[in-house]
Amino acid sequence: MKFVSFPLLMLAFAAGAVAEEELNIVATTSDLASIAQSVAGSHAVVRNVCKGDRDPHFLQAKPGYIMMARDADLWIRVGMELEIGWEPAILDGARNSAIRENGPGHLDASQSVLRLEVPAQRVTRAMGDVHAQGNPHYWLDPLNGRIVAKAIAGRLEQIDPFNAASYRANLAQFQKALDERMFGTELVSQIGGDKLWAIELKGSLGEFLEKGNLAGKLGGWAAAVKPLRAQKIVTYHKSWVYFANRFGLAIDCELEPKPGIPPSPSHLARVIERINGGGIRVILLEPFYSRKAADFVAGKTSATTVVCPNSVGGNDSATDYLSLIDTIVDRVSKAFTER
Amino acid sequence: MKLSLLLTCAFICLLLAPASRAAEEPADAQALRNEIDALRQQLEAQKRDYDARLQLLRQALDKLAAQQPVRHQLPEEAPAEPDLEALLQQLQQPPEEHRPGIDWGRAFQSFNPDISVIIDTFYHHDDSEEGISHVLGGIDGFGHSHGHEGHHHAETENGFNLRHLELYLGAEVDPYFKAWAIPAISEEGAELEEAVIQTTGLPYGLQVKAGKFFSEFCRVNAQHSHEWDFVDAPLINQLVFGDHGLNDKGVQLSWLAPTDVPLTLALEAFQGDNETMFSHVGGDELPDRSGPRVLVQWLKLAPEIGGNHGIQFGGFHGSGVHQEAHDGDGDGVEDHWLDGTSLFWGGDVVYKYDSPAAHEQGDVVLQGEYLSRRRDLNVENHALAPAVIGNNRVDQQDGIYLQGTYGFLPRWRAGARWDLAGITNKQKLPDGTAESFDDSNRYTGMIDWTLTEFSRLRFQVSQGRYAAEGEKDKVTQFFLQLMVSLGSHGAHKF
Repeated sequence: MKFVSFPLLMLAFAAGAVAEEELNIVATTSDLASIAQSVAGSHAVVRNVCKGDRDPHFLQAKPGYIMMARDADLWIRVGMELEIGWEPAILDGARNSAIRENGPGHLDASQSVLRLEVPAQRVTRAMGDVHAQGNPHYWLDPLNGRIVAKAIAGRLEQIDPFNAASYRANLAQFQKALDERMFGTELVSQIGGDKLWAIELKGSLGEFLEKGNLAGKLGGWAAAVKPLRAQKIVTYHKSWVYFANRFGLAIDCELEPKPGIPPSPSHLARVIERINGGGIRVILLEPFYSRKAADFVAGKTSATTVVCPNSVGGNDSATDYLSLIDTIVDRVSKAFTER
Repeated sequence: MKLSLLLTCAFICLLLAPASRAAEEPADAQALRNEIDALRQQLEAQKRDYDARLQLLRQALDKLAAQQPVRHQLPEEAPAEPDLEALLQQLQQPPEEHRPGIDWGRAFQSFNPDISVIIDTFYHHDDSEEGISHVLGGIDGFGHSHGHEGHHHAETENGFNLRHLELYLGAEVDPYFKAWAIPAISEEGAELEEAVIQTTGLPYGLQVKAGKFFSEFCRVNAQHSHEWDFVDAPLINQLVFGDHGLNDKGVQLSWLAPTDVPLTLALEAFQGDNETMFSHVGGDELPDRSGPRVLVQWLKLAPEIGGNHGIQFGGFHGSGVHQEAHDGDGDGVEDHWLDGTSLFWGGDVVYKYDSPAAHEQGDVVLQGEYLSRRRDLNVENHALAPAVIGNNRVDQQDGIYLQGTYGFLPRWRAGARWDLAGITNKQKLPDGTAESFDDSNRYTGMIDWTLTEFSRLRFQVSQGRYAAEGEKDKVTQFFLQLMVSLGSHGAHKF
């Protein structure tokens, strides 16, 4: 009897799990999906359209993605026109009015983030792929990750008020984990995450730590990248601006002459000149870009090519949002220290 | 404070009392001791009670303290205490010059439709005597069947050509509809390519589209010419539906089935106005048939094959009224008239590999289609040969194409296409005789360079052997195409 009842019991459990309605969240990118999963916890199944090893600017709107969108209760996008080449085709095909723009199930995560490079003058395409609403690669600033998590929690509370307390608790847990990775466990327990971020935002973290004799207690990413402050780097695309801004790196120039425009020989010659003149040591690029131009420049200068994922799933170590930032911090600081 | 005082007094009494009483009255010691024990127990119970109450009080006090903001405990730091939320709010505020109410450009933009323009221009050369348009118009089995003879189209000339300027205007109308209009402007004038109202909020995966639009029965017909992987359409599509494809006024109802496998089914009803397949002439000699005169049904199935691979199968069927009026002796006056039905069916498949490398490098697209058509027309009147009135003319043709592209460098693609039209190619004439024609084929090679997402340069060479009057015309064609897109162009479908 036991042998018979066991699989039946399992089936019953499985059916129960399905019946306990989980929310269906679809994010356009793996980073948003990772944050959403942290906030939603066990109350939602979270999937993402663009995988972490792909260029989120370009994607084929596969029918499978349309199926994901059709069944979604919540659609989260990076916004700022990052997905403009494929998101509309998916949303149109999905026939799910709740997740269309301005629908209750459509969350543009860029709405509350701190933006950089918002053009102050008229944008033309002669400037390359410049987004009129600002640089959309904002998820590489952990503070923006924190802000996005809060926005997601807020929307989940609206969609699923029954589990509001749980979303709030998950959010607090995610924020705490992020704060601890950013500033170190000790400092966060002593000062508090919110306060540390506020001081960081004011640009006076160093001063504050100095004054309170806390400099030795700084841990996490902030401590790991601290020695690199004001170091110059070169990137392939303008996708590392937020990371550099948060961690005090200085991006000298890009291999692309203009965003989205492939490197030209004359531009690369100028880059080589700048690298040699400024003693720049790192050329940072995502795995989906061709290494050719970077390696060419590296061969003519003292710089090294550092291929680094900029999305969750971009390599084996970036399994979630926090480990993605771990990976980037690790790659970048190693690139500087190993030479 | 009072509580602890009380407790101390009680304790002192308790300690003093038994000693003094025991000394004065030893006889009653036992009784006294009992009494004291009872008292002690009573006192201890009282003490426990007080302890419990004290505990509750302390908890209440703690709770109160917790509700007070932390800041109040550190009055000396309060003014300097930075508040993250307030700071964030401050930073999220747009700068002065971007505040709404001042920036009219932005305010207008949010209500205006998306506008984009595609300019499609090419240089063409072929080695035929009368031009490729003339050759294609005269292919055995396919040619000479226009509804009205002398129907002229923008011909592909040797030299510079402007295919058209495609203007796109589109927006969400309200929460229920979206709409777009695509006038195509060429040197001959403007032509409405699409004017569509489409629902956005229907339940059960339903969607209704109305207006004038391209039938979505197969990949090539559903796409605008600028989306094609080659300059021109596959031969069979071009021969069966003409230069503009199946594009007509009508209604489409489509249904995305609630299955795990993406399955879309659609019904389209069209007025029936296609030069080669669904022509309506009417007039004195032919019956006037009211619309809709064409019904198309199709399905698309796209099983998930994982990763960056995608595949889609399509099947389609369409039928409708077709009428023809001809001038048999070439004196400029129509002399025989046909009326009947025309139908087509077929299937197509597309496979795509979307490589992780940027800018289409490594991407593969493989695509193929089979299309068959049959027209069964009754001779309504014949001024030259009255004997055949009431007899039938039946045409049966089909064709196939296979094509593929590969991104061999970032932004560079190479492609090849094979066309075969007229595998079945026969005609039963009204006089009872039957004819069978040869097939036509074409080989095409293409290389294109997508400088940015907004400009593309394409080089294409093709060689075709076209069956014409029992012989095969060999024509080599060369294209150099430049297309640019201005404005916010919508995303392309799979």
